Amino acid sequence: MKKSYSSEHLAFLKREKRNAVIVRAARIALLALILGVWELIAALEIVDPFIVSSPSRVAKTIGQLWADGSLFYHVGTTLWETLAGFAVAVTAGSLIALALWWSEGARRVLEPYIVVLNSLPKIALGPVIIIWFGTGAASIVFMTVLVGIIVAVMHMLGGFLATDKNKITLLRAMGANKAQILVKLVIPSALPQFIGMLKICVGMAWIGSIMGEYVASKAGLGYLIVYGGQVFRLDLVMASTFILCLLAAGMYFLVVLAEKTVIRHPR
Amino acid sequence: MNQTPVGPILQFDGVRLTYHTKEGETLAVKDLSFSVRGGEFMAVIGPSGCGKTTVLSLAAGLLAPSEGKIAVRGRPAAESAAKFGYMLQKDDLFPWRTIEKNILLPLEIARKNTAQKRAAALALAKKYGLGDFLSYYPDQLSGGMRQRAAPIRTLAADPEILLLDEPFSALDYQTRLSVCNDVYGIIRGEKKTALLVTHDISEAISLADRILVLSRRPATALAVHEIGFGSLAPLKRREDPHFPVWFEKLWKELNV
Repeated sequence: MKKSYSSEHLAFLKREKRNAVIVRAARIALLALILGVWELIAALEIVDPFIVSSPSRVAKTIGQLWADGSLFYHVGTTLWETLAGFAVAVTAGSLIALALWWSEGARRVLEPYIVVLNSLPKIALGPVIIIWFGTGAASIVFMTVLVGIIVAVMHMLGGFLATDKNKITLLRAMGANKAQILVKLVIPSALPQFIGMLKICVGMAWIGSIMGEYVASKAGLGYLIVYGGQVFRLDLVMASTFILCLLAAGMYFLVVLAEKTVIRHPR
Repeated sequence: MNQTPVGPILQFDGVRLTYHTKEGETLAVKDLSFSVRGGEFMAVIGPSGCGKTTVLSLAAGLLAPSEGKIAVRGRPAAESAAKFGYMLQKDDLFPWRTIEKNILLPLEIARKNTAQKRAAALALAKKYGLGDFLSYYPDQLSGGMRQRAAPIRTLAADPEILLLDEPFSALDYQTRLSVCNDVYGIIRGEKKTALLVTHDISEAISLADRILVLSRRPATALAVHEIGFGSLAPLKRREDPHFPVWFEKLWKELNV
């Protein structure tokens, strides 16, 4: 049944819709302006296009990568490494956080180590990782895990520990044991933190995989960026960066989609 | 789900509780003795911060007394946690569960989620006007309606004693009077024993058969009063000429 609204409310809805369209148009216009100015700077040679490249040159480079079949090879390599590292970091991070919630003793013992590991620039471990795992995909996946896992642990532990104390009292009064409190309350109430952690870890996973490819790789978008920089092919660097932007945004969008599907009622 | 009123069901005998922290120790409860009879509605009032909630936690076995004994039908309270139902200041319904799933939660915890028990719990919900809202989530209901659902959930596992920790304090005054009346009806209707903690003297008089007055910290029993309103509903009690008399008496006792 269609609801009937007052003319005042219909006018309000129309204004809201118009504002949403204006915001969307402004976003597209901003992107077009940046690309246009960039193209113009290169076309008029205000700055040497060899140094700054240009949108048309980036598009052409992507076309070439597509044509010679290497586009999917490099994108696939980085995507696989990123997703594998992301999955391991998120799963292991959540399980470690659960174990730390369960055992206050373990939490108190491990807390300083977690803080130190979080502060450590993971790139410093690059040489060690190469020695341990070689120069293949394993090194890159490990670097990706390393960058994401501590953040995942800290974020999820914070979520588990923030469980409403009153609700815990309520369950205890019902006679619930620790495992029941975990399953019925702690995990479901930490779902928003889990989604928040996924959002952070999407960014962390891309940082980890590209950083890993900078240190040791034979393929992937990070490899193309490093290679392009070394041989002064800025078109290749910009094209790879552009594809990275699209992939990272796509992965983030999927998490947002999952959030809307899973969390329908405010915690 | 009915329960026949009997003699003392909950007994505090010389209970003492001391909290220990790095900063020092705090004597919260001292020589506290009182009993709650089966089927009665008992209210506990006392100055702010005197340890009213602590008394409920002790009764439910969530805290162990440093000295003294707490017995439920003669057995230590800690061994009978499942026989208590707790209602807190907020409704504390789980927002990711429908009202039906919330009501069935105590059965899941007690591993008594049988078809028969489920049917009894849902019949209770329907009896008290929640039948049309079982598939709703808590955020789809008003605060008053949520607070009406909370006692149904508490009663689902058929507890012997209901522990009510200022269950109406988060509601606005008008809703509070109405929900208070309804919850009283539910508890009386199911012939349950209830121990209510409140800072609101009017609420205690309008609900309780007896009122225990606690002293400032460390909490000890100053007096126990038989209110004598029988099964008169809370809203009706407020119209009774004895209501302001009781209010005056308890007000003076609390402010001595």
